[in-house]
Amino acid sequence: MPDMRFAPPNPLRIADRASGLNAVSVRSYNERLVLSLLLQKETTTRLEIGERTGLSAQTVSVLVRSLEQEGLVARGEAQKGRVGPPTVPIVLNPEGAFSIGISVGQDRTDIVLINFVGEVRFHATLPNPEAARGANHSEFLDTIRQAMALLPKKARERLAGVGLALPYGVANGRDDESHFRALQDEIEEHLGVSVFVQNDVTAAASGESLFGVARPLTDYMYFYLGARLHGRLVLNHQIYNGNSPVSFDVGVAALEREVARHGLSAAPLVEGSGDWLAYGPHFDAWAGRLVDQMVRSLEAVSQFVEFETVVFSSYAPPQTCREICERLEKVFPSVKALPGRVTPSPKAVGAASLPFSSRFMVE
Amino acid sequence: MRTVLCYGDSNTHGQIPGGLTLDRYSYEERWPGVLARELGKGWHVIEEGLSGRTTVRDDPIEGAAKNGRTYLRPCLMSHAPLDLIIIMLGTNDLKARFNQPASEVAMGIGCLIHDIRELAPGPGGRVPEILIVSPPPMLDDIKAWEGIFKGAQEKSRELALQFEIMADSLEVHFFDAGTVAECDPLDGFHIGREAHEKLGVALAREVEAIGWK
Repeated sequence: MPDMRFAPPNPLRIADRASGLNAVSVRSYNERLVLSLLLQKETTTRLEIGERTGLSAQTVSVLVRSLEQEGLVARGEAQKGRVGPPTVPIVLNPEGAFSIGISVGQDRTDIVLINFVGEVRFHATLPNPEAARGANHSEFLDTIRQAMALLPKKARERLAGVGLALPYGVANGRDDESHFRALQDEIEEHLGVSVFVQNDVTAAASGESLFGVARPLTDYMYFYLGARLHGRLVLNHQIYNGNSPVSFDVGVAALEREVARHGLSAAPLVEGSGDWLAYGPHFDAWAGRLVDQMVRSLEAVSQFVEFETVVFSSYAPPQTCREICERLEKVFPSVKALPGRVTPSPKAVGAASLPFSSRFMVE
Repeated sequence: MRTVLCYGDSNTHGQIPGGLTLDRYSYEERWPGVLARELGKGWHVIEEGLSGRTTVRDDPIEGAAKNGRTYLRPCLMSHAPLDLIIIMLGTNDLKARFNQPASEVAMGIGCLIHDIRELAPGPGGRVPEILIVSPPPMLDDIKAWEGIFKGAQEKSRELALQFEIMADSLEVHFFDAGTVAECDPLDGFHIGREAHEKLGVALAREVEAIGWK
């Protein structure tokens, strides 16, 4: 029996890997641990990675070197503190990976391309594709193809995948989960890219938790203001979907009706731009109903869990979001309401965050 | 105070390229001296560079004293406790008399790592941090040394990869000196003053990046 210490070396990784991203299957659990830390915090150090994961300094060294060579992480300048040894920060390389997010709404489809730190590099809004009769869901194929064609060649090699955010109910009464899965398989087969499909509001909540104000938060209530109002409870970074796709008719659609009833133009509402507060009493009446509904949800949830933060996300103009947050805090002073930071299309950016979380993070 | 041992060959000893055996850079110029300057007061840097040192081989010409494995044990015991051991060896193993491929030189490095772990000369009897440094590749023109190092140039360019594979397998720190320093054209396999400076600075950054409390 040979001394196994002197068997041929069996590296943790392939030292002379070619450029481009690793295949999904060889991304080790430990590499995912390190990337999860980095995706959750803007910067870390090898020391901190070791402390948080329990891995030895030498194992962390091998992992980080591997990620550096793959171009996913970069080493920052050493920081000399007044006390103690200097620390060397490790950060994500913004150009290390890209992702495409597509959110299919009621009458338009948003497409974004984001880099590894969630910066939107490209955003387009398209009219919804026509569903061809008899076809399964091939209408998405062209949209995704268009989005991929927009990627610079260099970025195409570093595309982590495509995230697709769909509202509930697109399955026309069929089971949403199995519908999403079938769609994913179809697109992957045709385009050869990894596709991740999720409910759009849940995706928006993921985006806010990965790249937005919710990054440092563990427990909070997430609201998404779209045509309707949607809520998600987030506990220990886990987004709870709930069993029923409940949403409330106090969203932008309600404001649109209100505005139309008074003969005013609803164009700013459709485009998600302009000054919504200028609708004056109509805005006030609507905002009152919206805040009431959020308070009811918060009261219901706070019977079971304590939380201090609400994240309020929308494609509505930032000023409108801030205003709603202030009004909510006034009626429900025990929570801090934070407007979402993921713009311009929280759902599409959220969709784009799915390939990152699936390929680079631990569950 | 932390202690680092720099275990190497003539390029750790500070032998001057193209010079005579006794020609040596000053402490401040040699990379361990540069490392000491860069790391500052918190570190004690020990130099252990011997010209002609191999990883694990008794040299039939230069003598058994050049075997890096047999000397490593007493050396570690002399200097323990050690927080970090930096090993930069491998060039001498490429001499024609040993007739070894780069992968076998890496096996020798692996052997030294196992020996360090067995002895555990770190603080409190623990295993210290180990940093493997692959030497800069030799230049094609190695002057009068061509015979002694016949065929070594190509193998020397493979050392970085083979060492890194070994470092990854055994989970130790690794640095490729070839990324910051080149051999001096005066003899083609020793590093000059400027390369010592660059290497010392780069290794200081590597040492800091390990993270120390």
